[in-house]
Amino acid sequence: MKVGHIIRREYTENVRRKSFIISTLLVPILMLVFFVVPVLFALLEPDKSYCVVVLDQTGKLGDGVAAALSDTLTDGGRKYLVTAAPSAGDAYAPARAARVEELRGGKLDIVIALPASIFADGKASYITREERNMNVLERFEDVITDVVIQNRLAAEGLEYERVKTLTAGIDLDMQQVTAQGGLEEKSFLSDYGIVFVFTMILYSSLLSWGMTISKSIIEEKGSRVIEVLLSAVSTRDLMWGKLIGVGLAGLTQLGAWAVMGLAFAGYAASGMVGALASFQIAPAVFVYLIAFFVLGFMLFSSLFMTVGSVCSTDQDAQQLQGLITLPMIIPILCLMLLLQNPNSPLAVVLSLIPLFAPMIMLARIILLQPPLWQILLSMALILVSVFLSISFAARIFRVGILMYGKRPSLREMIRWYKLAG
Amino acid sequence: MSDSVVDIRGIVKRYGDFTAVDGLSFTVPAGSIYGLLGPNGAGKSTTIRMMMRIMLPDEGTIRILGSELARVDLDRIGYLPEERGLYKKMKVGKVLTFFGEIKGLERREAQRRAHAWLERLGLLDRAEKPVEDLSKGMQQKVQFISTMLHEPELLILDEPFSGLDPVNASVIKDVILEYHRKGHTIVFCTHMMDQVEKLCDYICLINRGRVVLSGTLQAVKKEYGHNGVALRVVGDGSFLRELPEVVSLQDNGNELFLRLRDGVDPYRVLEAARARIPVTRFELAEPSIHDIFIERVSEPS
Repeated sequence: MKVGHIIRREYTENVRRKSFIISTLLVPILMLVFFVVPVLFALLEPDKSYCVVVLDQTGKLGDGVAAALSDTLTDGGRKYLVTAAPSAGDAYAPARAARVEELRGGKLDIVIALPASIFADGKASYITREERNMNVLERFEDVITDVVIQNRLAAEGLEYERVKTLTAGIDLDMQQVTAQGGLEEKSFLSDYGIVFVFTMILYSSLLSWGMTISKSIIEEKGSRVIEVLLSAVSTRDLMWGKLIGVGLAGLTQLGAWAVMGLAFAGYAASGMVGALASFQIAPAVFVYLIAFFVLGFMLFSSLFMTVGSVCSTDQDAQQLQGLITLPMIIPILCLMLLLQNPNSPLAVVLSLIPLFAPMIMLARIILLQPPLWQILLSMALILVSVFLSISFAARIFRVGILMYGKRPSLREMIRWYKLAG
Repeated sequence: MSDSVVDIRGIVKRYGDFTAVDGLSFTVPAGSIYGLLGPNGAGKSTTIRMMMRIMLPDEGTIRILGSELARVDLDRIGYLPEERGLYKKMKVGKVLTFFGEIKGLERREAQRRAHAWLERLGLLDRAEKPVEDLSKGMQQKVQFISTMLHEPELLILDEPFSGLDPVNASVIKDVILEYHRKGHTIVFCTHMMDQVEKLCDYICLINRGRVVLSGTLQAVKKEYGHNGVALRVVGDGSFLRELPEVVSLQDNGNELFLRLRDGVDPYRVLEAARARIPVTRFELAEPSIHDIFIERVSEPS
């Protein structure tokens, strides 16, 4: 079978390319850097102590704040070395200036300034030298708020502990029924990350491999290799050889990523690093990723192939390639909409339109298992359009591949389509 | 098996309003070296592409190697397109193996033959280099090998010598002649007439998509060579054009070529010339294919 030789050449030449090897290794590393590292960083507190002065114009808050900041370091020492400094009335402003000087001189790390007006307008200051640690700031905010509320309640004659108990908030945990009949814990944040990663990987794979096909045809036309090829194989063999060979190269890369992803998901699920526990990815998602890649690849690459066959230069091709890229970008833009309600009628419709379906349906599957009939219907619809686009591509390809010079207009292409039938 | 390897009858190819090939017919005898000649745009490459089934003729029939074009086994034909191209990033050895394979060779056999050819053409040390690292002449040789690798019965070469230096051109010429001696048929397109005279048994001159003349090289020359003289003179010989015996005069720089009317005695022309200017050389000559080409192609249609 001659198509086998075309497949083998397309596959080996693509897989052996340096850019293939680099991107196969680099993409997972980048994903790790972008998504996991910030999570870890946010959770890893620097293990150091802070020298804090609480300057208190009210005279009622300092001790309470100092007592509440009883956090400890890993070695058991106190994290916040707090000195309460009451400074009533006119002494407050000069004392504050003096403390800020001390802070500047490095004797202190943080100055908390609580003016008398705090009970009325709820405003106080957190003054620091260079420490931009949000966690520390939030900790102080929580503690001061608590102490101020205690004081306000006491002024009204209410008991703090009792009010706190009575006004305790409600925490909704999100669970989702799975196909197996069980329940699964879900969290918005990790879902968003995972959906984003998967749709971006699908999008960029479809785009880059589609462009690879388009470029290789233009190159073969440019170097006239095409004539030699066509003196040995039929346009049909050539077309399928390219689609399958390049598709397998793409599948190899995606497969490598899936294996790495599964390994990561397994590691995250093992709970060895608590912060990663939320990154739970069902193995089925990887299967869907690959299934939608295969379908999407056939659909988009046959279109990219048509573009390659009617153009003589890369510049020529850019405009038409942009036209194909457009329906690929729309799902990415719809992602936010989808996250809010993955089961809205709009989301369902979008996930059934073949050009959008690969990305949208994959995202819906990750977010919220849609009914099986919807998944199968969307796959079937893609498959039907794959047959249409490949038969269209084959006709245009046969005529276009030997045309040089000016790019044909859409009307001419339609004429070719009719001629080639 | 008939005697003709290629049998083309009345083929027509139109591109929109432009008719590139206009009712072309010719047959290529088995075992011949057949020169398809013509000026640029005469329809040579289009004809060859139709023979390779890259395009289909709008009208007419093409039979190759005894069967209809649609059923021809393309693996029995080797084709060198006019504009050369190889996969630039692939290694020379791999490109040749690939082209051998798509022409029906087993992988091992393709590798073995590629090796032998590279050795013969002095390119063995480049086998592991990417094609783009080779000089243009070397790339041409590699492409030439790729058309021969599967030992086709019919070899179609479109301008095989263009862009080659004299040394490489003669290497390729030797390969073609050796191939011819093995009994294979070679069709080649060219407008380099000295190559035609050296190599071809048969020629077919095409202009504006039609056959202008065809036949064996000798027959064509004979038809034209009724009466011609080559003269070398001192001074201006252009007055010879006015002689009643002379049909046409072609000034080739150092030499004048005169075509004479049938039955005219060439020595009378010599006398007429010597009466006016010194003649340093006089030769009875048949016209070169070059002259015939120029004359027939510049004729108003």
